[in-house]
Amino acid sequence: MADPNTKFLVVDDFSTMRRIVRNLLKELGYSNVEEAEDGADGLSKLRSGNYDFVVSDWNMPNMDGLTMLQQIRADAALSKLPVLMVTAEAKKENIIAAAQAGANGYVVKPFTAATLDEKLTKIFEKLEKTGG
Amino acid sequence: MSAILEEQLATNLYYDQHFNCEAAKLLPGEYYYTSKQMLLVTVLGSCVAACIRDRVKGIGGMNHFMLPESGGDPGNPLSTSMRYGAYAMEMLINELLKAGARREHLEAKVFGGGNVLRGVTSINVGERNARFVRDYLRAENVPILAEDLNDIHPRKVYFFPHTGKVLVKKLKQQHNDTVQKRERDYARRLNIHPVDGDVDLF
Repeated sequence: MADPNTKFLVVDDFSTMRRIVRNLLKELGYSNVEEAEDGADGLSKLRSGNYDFVVSDWNMPNMDGLTMLQQIRADAALSKLPVLMVTAEAKKENIIAAAQAGANGYVVKPFTAATLDEKLTKIFEKLEKTGG
Repeated sequence: MSAILEEQLATNLYYDQHFNCEAAKLLPGEYYYTSKQMLLVTVLGSCVAACIRDRVKGIGGMNHFMLPESGGDPGNPLSTSMRYGAYAMEMLINELLKAGARREHLEAKVFGGGNVLRGVTSINVGERNARFVRDYLRAENVPILAEDLNDIHPRKVYFFPHTGKVLVKKLKQQHNDTVQKRERDYARRLNIHPVDGDVDLF
């Protein structure tokens, strides 16, 4: 497990899903979690707060998760921020588009705590190797 | 990709002679949405169906699901039940939003959750499903305009997404146990397959 103080932003338009992800993160030892309800809200929170990790849905009103990811990568201050996509979209073209936009990982709903843990661990390991 | 349990778009489309319109018949684990003047039909035992529509645009859809029996307390965000239920609801709502519906215009009618699998299990599966769908829609601020939940009989639900009209027929006498059989098969699928949609591409 990485630093338990790692600050997460969970971006999802469904409050139930935010609650699920927040509780799964807590279960994995991460309790420093904030929430945003769409990509636009997420981006503005990321720009004004000191976040270490983003877990984002894809389909959202105002700004979707893919656009938010692209904006994160295009913003010098945020470009290195790890982003894990958590979405109900299991289509190959979605996964490829997320990878091309620079997502660090992709989890398809409905996922388990174990899957989330595995993805987070993998991403943290990679970041450590590259000096992230 | 591991074997995942996906909600499927209903494929059983037909022309309904009685109502004189195109129709889709939903089986357990399926959903359907449309902006056309269609009829969506399903038969519910202990499963629940949420009929959700954008009251301004007339785009609407229906799902038909149950929570995994061994999935734990659906009120607990760490439970498999809540994750699966939230997924089943999100699949439908996301498709509606993608088709142009707006979140603030959504309204729902919910049906099913009958205690029809009596004796098969000690817990009241129907009541659990009914409580979940109510709690979920309340948490997501989607108003429930009408409901016909619980009781002991299966129901046939006719939903007209364009107008929001719903007709419910309680099946007090059944000629066979097709409804129960289908639900038991679906319940078994839910328990065999892990409720996990892992994709390991990167």
